[in-house]
Amino acid sequence: MNFNNLALDLHEIEKEYPENPLDYFKEKKICLFKACLEKYFPGVRWGFQDLLEELQLESSTCLNQSCCSGTFFQRNLITRAQFSAINERNLNEMNQQADIAFFSCNGCYNSLLRGRDFLKNPEVRVKTQEILNSISKKVDGERYPGIYNILENPKLKLVHDLDFLYLIRNDVLNTLKFDLGNLKVAIHYGCHYLNLSRDKKTLDSYFGSKTKLEGLIELFGGIPVDYQERESCCGWGASQLLINPREALKITYNKLKSAENVGADFLLMPCPTCLYTLSKPEYRDNIEKWFGEKLEIPTIHLNELIAILRGCEEERCISLTRKTPRLEEIFEIITQQ
Amino acid sequence: MADHTELDWNWAFYKELVEDVDENRNIIQCISCGKCVGDCPAAKVSTFNSRKIIQKVLRGDKSVLKDSDIWHCYLCERCKRVCPKENINIPLLIINLRNESFKRGYGPRYNDLRKYVEMSERYLTKGTVLEEPLGENLPQERIDELNTICDFARIKYVFKASKEKQKSKRKKS
Ligand code: SF4
Ligand code: SF4
Repeated sequence: MNFNNLALDLHEIEKEYPENPLDYFKEKKICLFKACLEKYFPGVRWGFQDLLEELQLESSTCLNQSCCSGTFFQRNLITRAQFSAINERNLNEMNQQADIAFFSCNGCYNSLLRGRDFLKNPEVRVKTQEILNSISKKVDGERYPGIYNILENPKLKLVHDLDFLYLIRNDVLNTLKFDLGNLKVAIHYGCHYLNLSRDKKTLDSYFGSKTKLEGLIELFGGIPVDYQERESCCGWGASQLLINPREALKITYNKLKSAENVGADFLLMPCPTCLYTLSKPEYRDNIEKWFGEKLEIPTIHLNELIAILRGCEEERCISLTRKTPRLEEIFEIITQQ
Repeated sequence: MADHTELDWNWAFYKELVEDVDENRNIIQCISCGKCVGDCPAAKVSTFNSRKIIQKVLRGDKSVLKDSDIWHCYLCERCKRVCPKENINIPLLIINLRNESFKRGYGPRYNDLRKYVEMSERYLTKGTVLEEPLGENLPQERIDELNTICDFARIKYVFKASKEKQKSKRKKS
């Protein structure tokens, strides 16, 4: 396996803190990586931030962090070295202020690990450092020494929100005011969570089926329902919705339809990019236009769901600009217990 | 199954791609089993076939650069997980082929190039791909750094093209 040592080693934490893994995070400085798409779904960030606060973990965001640039790399608009330099710059900045960076987006998480992977190639590494040198010359003396160098042994570790939430699931459960009251939940992990090898230490954890979301749903009193398209892509596919919209939307349609067919009350996911694709009203309208079917299954990010279950105000946990059908209905079902 | 003979192999194209991105070396291990195709979202909705693309590359068939097929990959990395061979990285190969295609002026038929222009512009002026970030804006010095990092990248050309277009529009009106 090609384990990237930037990823937080969850197995080690489980071994060291078998009773209460949350203890590992106490006293640690936490930085929430700002995913661009949280702009559309602020509950994804706020819901998580509020939970950390209740768990008495201190978190912040990094003012100097830019977008991960995965979208530009995947569209061939920047080179591997430029992509790595952007990510290394972000790592430098976060490494200054935090011990652990949390990720609410599969894409951002994958980007930072991938940027590091590219540095294993000597040529890309040299180019990346050259680029970093060219910007550090311009940095004024006020800032810390060594900026921006490729970090040999960064103290910073990265973790996906879902992996963290699952690790401390019993503590999360203790913060909840409501349960899922047997609502049926279809799970979507997203390709870059399901197929990611960079943060896996063993083949088993890479190939084995991913079931953390199902585990959380059961714990929260819901019923995870299996459906045929569980492992399929949301349809975004690094701009496929722009390049080949009809084909891409067919994938989105198949996914939503398959979840509706098994009677799921809503679709749950750990990524705002998938959420965007699976909920955007324009895409739902085009699905109806092109495939003749109006699909109304609501969609929600795990961080938003936890916020609802914790009794957070609707406005804070679900963006009001979001017009996903029937989401308010789900909110009401849960909160009127 | 393989639809070619030993004589079909031509390594020139393969070597070019390996020289550009070393990891492409691993595609030589491909045994044409088709597992990647069976699990591929793109193959389900288009004629995209990763196995055939690899075979074409190994036969030196540069027509892949002109085919619209390479623009159908979802870069989802599913194939990496199901491929019986270690380290064949199809999405990286596809990104590399798209790069070559761009260089030769083929590129995709984007239905909505405007979105790319907008995203590039936001990134180089705000450091995000959406209108405004949630929370504080990135300081101007950091934005300048991003611009330096992106020197000579395609993102800059897209950005400049958008500026020139705006200028000529303003002039006309
Ligand atoms: S990365 Fe591309 S080739 Fe591989 S499974 Fe996904 S769509 Fe298919
Ligand atoms: S799964 Fe791997 S070995 Fe099989 S055809 Fe695809 S790339 Fe080749």
